[in-house]
Amino acid sequence: MYIHDYSYISPQHTFRETDIASIVEYTDNKLTAIEPGYADIPPGVLRRMGKAVRIGIGAAMPVIQHQSIDGIIIGTANGGMEDCIKFLNQIIDYDEGMLTPGSFVQSTPNAIAGQIGLLDKNTGYNITHVHLGLAFENALLDAFMMVREHPGTQYLVGAVDVISSYNYHIDLLKGTFRKDLISNKDLYNTTTTGTIAGEGAGTLRVNDIPENAVAQIRAIKMIHTEDENEIKAALQDFLRQQVNPNGAPDLFISGENGDERLLKYYRAAESVFPDDTTIARYKHLCGDFPTASSIALWLACYKSPLPNHCIKRPGSLRQHQSIVIYNNYYGKQHGFVYLTKYQHSQLLLNFLYDAGTGCRFFPVFMI
Amino acid sequence: MSRIFITGIGIITALGDSAEKNRQALINEVCGVSPLTNFDTKYAGSRPCGEIKKPTAELQEGLNAHEHGVTRTSVLALHAFNQSVNDAGLSIAEISSPHTAVIGASTVGGMCLTDELYNDANMTTGSGSEYLASYDAASVVLYLQSRYQLNGLLNTINTACSSSANAIMYGARLLKNGLVKKVIAGGTDSLAKYTINGFNALHILSPDLCTPFDRDRKGLNLGEAAAFVVLEKEENLDGKKVYAEIAGFGNSNDAFHPSSLSNEGNGPYLCMQKALEEAKLNPGDIDFINAHGTGTENNDLVESKAMLRIFKTSPPFISTKANTGHTLGAAGAVEAIYSILNLYHQEIYPAIHFQQSIEETGLSPQPDYRKTSLKHVMSNSFGFGGNCTSLIFSKA
Repeated sequence: MYIHDYSYISPQHTFRETDIASIVEYTDNKLTAIEPGYADIPPGVLRRMGKAVRIGIGAAMPVIQHQSIDGIIIGTANGGMEDCIKFLNQIIDYDEGMLTPGSFVQSTPNAIAGQIGLLDKNTGYNITHVHLGLAFENALLDAFMMVREHPGTQYLVGAVDVISSYNYHIDLLKGTFRKDLISNKDLYNTTTTGTIAGEGAGTLRVNDIPENAVAQIRAIKMIHTEDENEIKAALQDFLRQQVNPNGAPDLFISGENGDERLLKYYRAAESVFPDDTTIARYKHLCGDFPTASSIALWLACYKSPLPNHCIKRPGSLRQHQSIVIYNNYYGKQHGFVYLTKYQHSQLLLNFLYDAGTGCRFFPVFMI
Repeated sequence: MSRIFITGIGIITALGDSAEKNRQALINEVCGVSPLTNFDTKYAGSRPCGEIKKPTAELQEGLNAHEHGVTRTSVLALHAFNQSVNDAGLSIAEISSPHTAVIGASTVGGMCLTDELYNDANMTTGSGSEYLASYDAASVVLYLQSRYQLNGLLNTINTACSSSANAIMYGARLLKNGLVKKVIAGGTDSLAKYTINGFNALHILSPDLCTPFDRDRKGLNLGEAAAFVVLEKEENLDGKKVYAEIAGFGNSNDAFHPSSLSNEGNGPYLCMQKALEEAKLNPGDIDFINAHGTGTENNDLVESKAMLRIFKTSPPFISTKANTGHTLGAAGAVEAIYSILNLYHQEIYPAIHFQQSIEETGLSPQPDYRKTSLKHVMSNSFGFGGNCTSLIFSKA
């Protein structure tokens, strides 16, 4: 599956006037998206949109404005949770009194894909994956299947999640976020529990056409476990089967998020790579949220090599063509994505389905 | 690509806690919609619902589901999940195999605990309730994962009222693409203050028992349910019992309005058309339709028009939402199972509460129970955001 266009609204300057050489600093543990002006959305429509729908559409616009797409595939853990809590608060505060339904309708996570479809007058496939920390990876897998099932078609694949009072308060109580305030620039220099909150909306246009593609997504793997040894074994399998039996990718993009409880998973993953492989991180740019791995994919598409502030270990390679992205959510949901940059003349749409009985993990999808 | 068959079904609705109890209730024209008794809402007396009359604690007891933070939505799912895997004769090793995918769907998730969510979401200090990790829709499948130590592909879909129809479609596609060997797919939703107030604010909750496709319909009744099906590829059946084949599926976006369908019913029309194409069938091949049929002014008129557009004269159809209420994220899977029962028992169920046709379309749902020869049954599910899905099941 080939990526052609890519677009991202994040807490950094990733949209339109892109600049990630320097970092936008946040000191309140909440990295909120830098929103564009949305000149393309009618003001009346814009006013009624919750933030998740708004940034989702904002990120989709550059893609759908110039290209006809055959369907919309969104991954979001929470969708418009801001509206959800707005409506919830009305229910309780007004004792189930006279309520306005706007927030209720906007609160369904598929409002994002629905509204993009509405604006694009797109009557094609429309789906919303909400499997928390693997919502985006499942969206990618869905897109891969669609491209394979319907040759010649192309899809908008997106990831959207926002900081809302719902997820912020609840995740804070759960211990997901740090209690003390830090700068996002210092995210990795800590040994405490908790991370910082973030948000973002990204979209990709994907199809089966290698010509002029930015990158090719070649494999996706998802597992649920709390055992870091399984992560290591799963990644080793993934590399052996997908990347190169004798080698390693040029670049590993890790979802390290400053939470010392999750470090063991990232360390286990890093230990698999030889010294040549560059190791990079990105959550100082966007904070953590369930579909944050989408911004790693954006970075991989956008910039090579990555800016220095992303590099954890330089490695020895100057060019980063083969890239593995690993993210984990709450130490339970783990996703690996393997992509290669630049063009590939040969379509690799026939994934290798290894029905090998000894495999403990979900077989890798070769895309 | 492989043919996909349904080898196990599991269901709990206001009509009963097994497929056979649901079937008997449908045959006997039972309506499961009644005043609410399990939870406290201002609308308990004025908005009847398809409520499962067992309190959550009793359901938990029956399933030995006493884990920290488990919700009614997850417990209902566990009930239907267990039933479906037992029905298909799956071993524990097969359920937890890396080659078995579990695809869930829910709209309300743990938000059935509306008051607890309110407290947790508005609290900044203290420790919060035991449900902090249980509110989102994915919490159901994650609960099944921990309960069964699932190692395969897991996913959760939320496209509002078409969620579990899409979960079944996604599962069938995983199998057709050769990515997994077995799929357990379905959906679950329990009644919640959240949804009752939401639909009430939209003025589409009926104060009376809902009357799908009736001229004088006043809106929908909400319901709660969970339903799962086990899907397997033809080559892996190994002589086991099969209920039906999933022959076609189609999804389309109406692209008209966030919470109502276009006058022409483009989304409903296109999803039925895509499902027919996928199944390589003509409209005339469809013998029976389990319609979306919520009982709202908008849905039933638009769905009728779309049915007439595609079928010219509609095959027999009903909406079982008159029996179960609208079970939201579970509805697609519940009605998939009813369609599967139609085929397996070669019978069609009667519509209840219907009196007079909508003038503009003149359609009347199936009036009585009948044993009949059925080859292909269609099940429609439409949701907010214009999300429309049609599934076609065929006699095995």
